[in-house]
Amino acid sequence: MNASTPRRFRPSRRAVLAGLGAIAPLGMLAACGGSSSSAADANSTLYTWISNENDRAQWQAFIDAAKEADPDFELELEGPSFEDYWTKVKTRMSSSDAPALLTTQAARAQELDALLAPLDELAESAGVDLADYNEAMIGGMTVDGTVRAIPYDAEPMVLYYNKKLFTDGGLELPGTTYTMDQFLDNAKSLTSGDSYGLGISAGLVHLGMSIGFANGGTPVTDGALTLTDPKIIEGLQFSFDLVTEHKVAAAPAAVDSEPAAQQALLNGNVAMYLDGPWMYQYFLDGLGEDLGVAIVPSESGEAKGLIQGSGFGIASNAKDKEGAFKQIMAITTPEVIGAVANTRGTFPSIESQEGEWAEGKAEDNVAAVTALARNGEPLITTPTWNEVGSQFAQSATDGFHGNRSAEEILSEIQAAIG
Amino acid sequence: MLGFAIFIVIPLLTSLVISFFDWPLFGTPEFVGLENYRYMLTGDPAFWVSLRNTIIFAVFYTAVNLVVALGLSYWLMNLGGRWASFFRVLFFIPVVTPMIGNALIFRLMLNDDGVINQMLAAIGIEGPQWLNTPGWAMLSLVMMSLWQGMGYNIIVLGAGIAGINSSVLEASKIDGAGPIVRFFRVVFPMLSPTIFFCTIMTVIGAFKVFTQPYALTEGGPGNATNTIVLHLYRNGFSFDRLGLASALAWVLFVLVMLITAVQFSQQKRWVTYDS
Repeated sequence: MNASTPRRFRPSRRAVLAGLGAIAPLGMLAACGGSSSSAADANSTLYTWISNENDRAQWQAFIDAAKEADPDFELELEGPSFEDYWTKVKTRMSSSDAPALLTTQAARAQELDALLAPLDELAESAGVDLADYNEAMIGGMTVDGTVRAIPYDAEPMVLYYNKKLFTDGGLELPGTTYTMDQFLDNAKSLTSGDSYGLGISAGLVHLGMSIGFANGGTPVTDGALTLTDPKIIEGLQFSFDLVTEHKVAAAPAAVDSEPAAQQALLNGNVAMYLDGPWMYQYFLDGLGEDLGVAIVPSESGEAKGLIQGSGFGIASNAKDKEGAFKQIMAITTPEVIGAVANTRGTFPSIESQEGEWAEGKAEDNVAAVTALARNGEPLITTPTWNEVGSQFAQSATDGFHGNRSAEEILSEIQAAIG
Repeated sequence: MLGFAIFIVIPLLTSLVISFFDWPLFGTPEFVGLENYRYMLTGDPAFWVSLRNTIIFAVFYTAVNLVVALGLSYWLMNLGGRWASFFRVLFFIPVVTPMIGNALIFRLMLNDDGVINQMLAAIGIEGPQWLNTPGWAMLSLVMMSLWQGMGYNIIVLGAGIAGINSSVLEASKIDGAGPIVRFFRVVFPMLSPTIFFCTIMTVIGAFKVFTQPYALTEGGPGNATNTIVLHLYRNGFSFDRLGLASALAWVLFVLVMLITAVQFSQQKRWVTYDS
């Protein structure tokens, strides 16, 4: 063969098979990646947290109620568990076939800032008056001066208690006024042997934070972290002392302490436990008429609620935002919010629907929740709130075991993140 | 080669590029040069702590794993028969079970009022706060990891021992070597390539520890059990800092590469490939 003669490339059978073998999986991967969907498909899918059948039933209640007004209304549900939601929503919304609708908590609205489109102009164009919705929740859903989600609930943290344990112990039932001293006395009276006066979760937004909030503290001021607010520190230290000094509660586990405390309330192993109204139906199913609800104890004994709640927003990269807003409005009409409040027990974000929520509930329980909701403020957070919660979760057990004070823990987090 | 490029080289290089950006999970990345590395090394309060924790975990886990796995393999060789097979399966079962499930069960056992402390209380011993005090929490991670991972090394080392020429062992017996001398003078040198392999793999695995602190302690109490990969995961997927997470990944990658390179460079001192 002449050296100057160009060689004709003839791939061997092995090379061809190897090439096909390498390309075939890529083809399959591409096929699995899915194609970009139309705006209509995106508008008919809600990305939200679905931790269990209870969650799914709640979202389905919105759809069913919307179908009452419009039988052609359609909305698909998609999403991971609540714990995974706050991570996965960011990656899911980055994909080409992302849903146009998503759910957010007011406390997370700052963190999801980039994902959520402003709704003010869309609401104005559609003739929707945002003032109809709970003012505190609209405040919580406002980021950089624009509303990012329409709230469907406005739920203050409340103190659940077991009425039977209180009456058996000869104690006066707490209600719409409750001081910290009364609370501590009751917790001590209800603690004996393996039974505790109180169940505690190690989460950041729980008993200590709620008490600090009720006493006038705030973990965020003007968009900046203020974890070292004296009232917040005192509130958290009070919750630590309940375990370490007063021994009226067991130290919560390092991870997933909430389900254990909830179960302890249902089993009658603890007399009191702080949680949101979204747990009302669950606790009612377990405790029946023994379920009591009181305000969060405060120094003055007056009600001041730490309001949390969630709402529906539109993805900032949605192609048809007007269409997406129509879908949101279909599931946030007063009638729909009232119907869901009635069937699922979420405290409504529209005052006129509170009667729907109250129907069938004990009057004293309704009075306590309503007092907190009417005298409440939203928990407004920062974009770094997830990091704050994460660091607190790591350190909370130190506090509940008396190894470090609330001031040390909160100062450390404030210095690291604030 | 194409697969290597697509699944290894390109993701590696992409990760390197991302480490020079402030890269959120959603939104527009911004080039920040070496800022992520600067922050990691001089501003991130959790980096050095998590690196220290990872090294402590890796040293204890690797040392105990290899010593115990080697001892058990040697014991199984001498035991022989059906019982040896039974114990090999028994030791290997945790390896094939999901680590997250095992971690949840260990969490229940190691809680303050968990099974272990209840058993200790039954015999009059007040158990420690396994997951809530720094030293015990790290020990708990190591214990759980050993339970989960040791079976793999037992199988590999067992295969290595089975590959030793029986006539060599017979010859050492005839020469009067007892079990201990035989182990250190005959079995260990002939098994050294297998031990070297196990050491490399165990160290690499130990530096990647994630599930155990994630499920058992969330890195707490404080940062006592926070590890590099847990810190990396949180920065990337919880705190929206993919750039910093990528920088952490590269530091871990380089660190593991260096340690592995050192191990390879030192193998001449103790690894013998003569059969």
